[in-house]
Amino acid sequence: MDKVDIVIAGSGASGSLLAAELSQAGKTVLVLEGGPERTSRDLYSSQLWARRIKWSGPRTETGGRDPLAVNFGSGWGTGGASLHHYAVWLRRHADDFDLRSRFGVGFDWPITYDELRPFYDQVQKEIGISGDTEAEVWRPPGDPYPMPPRKIFNQAKIIAEGFRKLGMRTSQVPMAINSTEYNGRPACVYDGWCDAGCPIMALGNPLAVYLPRARKTGAIIAHNRCVTRVLMNENGDRCAGVEYYDESGVRHVQEASLVIVASYAFQTPRILLNSANAKHRNGLANSSGLVGKHMMTHISGNIFGLFKENTENYLGTTGGQLLSQERYAKDPRRGYVNSSQWLIANALKPNDLLGIANSRPDLFGNALHTFMQTACKHLATMTFVGESLPDSENRLILSNAKDRFGLPLARATHSFGTDDLKCYRDGVEEGKAIFRAAGAYEVWASEHVRMHAMGGAMMGRDARASVTNSYGQTHDVPNLFIAGPSLFPTSAAVNPNFTIHAVTLRTARHIIDSWTVLS
Amino acid sequence: MNSDDGRSTRREVLVQLGAAVAGLSVNSTFGPISPAQARDQGLPWKHFSAEEGKALEALGDALLPGAQQAGIAHYIDHQLGQEAPLLFLQYMDLPGPYVDFYKQGLSCLQQMSQTRFGSSFEGCTPERKSAMIRDMLKGSVSGWNEPPAFLFYFVIRNDAVDVCYGTAAGFKKLGVPYMALLEPPRKW
Repeated sequence: MDKVDIVIAGSGASGSLLAAELSQAGKTVLVLEGGPERTSRDLYSSQLWARRIKWSGPRTETGGRDPLAVNFGSGWGTGGASLHHYAVWLRRHADDFDLRSRFGVGFDWPITYDELRPFYDQVQKEIGISGDTEAEVWRPPGDPYPMPPRKIFNQAKIIAEGFRKLGMRTSQVPMAINSTEYNGRPACVYDGWCDAGCPIMALGNPLAVYLPRARKTGAIIAHNRCVTRVLMNENGDRCAGVEYYDESGVRHVQEASLVIVASYAFQTPRILLNSANAKHRNGLANSSGLVGKHMMTHISGNIFGLFKENTENYLGTTGGQLLSQERYAKDPRRGYVNSSQWLIANALKPNDLLGIANSRPDLFGNALHTFMQTACKHLATMTFVGESLPDSENRLILSNAKDRFGLPLARATHSFGTDDLKCYRDGVEEGKAIFRAAGAYEVWASEHVRMHAMGGAMMGRDARASVTNSYGQTHDVPNLFIAGPSLFPTSAAVNPNFTIHAVTLRTARHIIDSWTVLS
Repeated sequence: MNSDDGRSTRREVLVQLGAAVAGLSVNSTFGPISPAQARDQGLPWKHFSAEEGKALEALGDALLPGAQQAGIAHYIDHQLGQEAPLLFLQYMDLPGPYVDFYKQGLSCLQQMSQTRFGSSFEGCTPERKSAMIRDMLKGSVSGWNEPPAFLFYFVIRNDAVDVCYGTAAGFKKLGVPYMALLEPPRKW
């Protein structure tokens, strides 16, 4: 293809939004997606078939005490990880943006909540969020949710009673899932198949909103095109385009005036590191040495309980029905500053990683059958989401192993810190108490697990201590941008996708406004 | 009929409800059949020897009775031949090829069984099988090599749950409404 204004690596949350905004502004935009094309007709209601939309591209080797969850959390094909995300859309709190200044740990973001707020509001309007603005007392300032709360089922009502008895508040969890028809997209039917992708587009994934708009305004989404490196001009001071391979293994070069790498938390730093050249020996945009550093994930786990009542746990949405952020405020008196929250009453399926059978991985034989019969009617659960503090030892480097194109694979090492684990342990004790108060006759907790992936190309004000500025523009190469969760300097304890969208929209507006300078 | 952007309308997907019987299937010369039917018909395994297949069935059935009859070994064997296998193993972030995971795990299983009881795993009594599984669960099996014993237990257990409870028929056994918006294809 002839030289384009902008080439974007990845068609996930940030890539699709950028394609829509930038093509609407009149730029020629090409999105190179490494995986195959997906449409709504690929989103089968099955936890088995859902595995097809999870990552199956070049492998990331994992290590450390708490290895990052790569394949389950990443996406393969149109829409990337966002195609199977659970649509829990929460804003970061104001003090999530200046952790270092206020509490002496982690990093400050180069933007404040107030600066990001208009972009949260704009995205919220475009995608559509259902929730209860008034009841969500912890919510930072923002426009009211454009849709009313969704339906609540037995599981949520039962657990909420436990919170109430302990003097803790709950609210509807805000979701990019329609409670009513919204912008021509239908309301949710509460079938609990969110993890498999939502074929009716009640859930605001990239197929529902930004990719259709991008295509309508002329952006081209090319599939099975795996971006491997960013290429530089002869002077080595600006990028000239990208190298990619098609599904036949043929190498191509795509020239562009501006390059955006939006390839999720694992491939984005890998592409930068693999783009090392004579003038950028340690990888592109890596003069700070921070590409691949400070990989993060939320520390997470589930509380489970069996109740006499029928919990109707098959109804609802995978991300949960209710929210409690009573422990979100950062309080060093606890011995750590990590925030946390509860996502309450997740819809459950019998099988798969988060399925009912794995709530008791120790059971086998007839005992497992007996448990399944009981749990499908009487199990309830809620998910702990805890902040994980950045640590330079948690990093992604290049492996000695190569992919099928001959390029080094990524190797990601991750271990939770002492404070992360303290935060989780306190959460587990609290969660068990809530379930007992709610009347569970049997209560247990899972081991801690990893949820979401962030970091690896952090934004910041100081070029010596970050990879990009607040717009995702790399400090070293002015026409190279990063988008997506790689930019996050800290994890906070909220699900990342709303913030990914808000930060990306801000980036898109900046690129449009600064086009003359950037190109 | 689809909307302009290619997405299925709600009406369209609702119409598809009941249009097909959701289920696991493998391909035979007679078209797609279920793993249970493949087993009943004695279709040969492509990736496993007869001994490996029998051991896999025996372990699956010990982990979740009924998995053998549901065709766990034929299901895994068929998926291993697919370009994009729908196996639970995908989530474990392990290097491929996936077939080695199963073959090496089964080899360790048989070695454990021979060492402890002088018999193949499938030839052991239910009590002895359970004793070995409990040790796998604890990860305390001397002489067990890769993959780790607990990981092998965890993956095969999930494979067993997939074939027994992962389809519309499995949901029905549990009394759980399937509520498909888009039925899975019959042919895999």
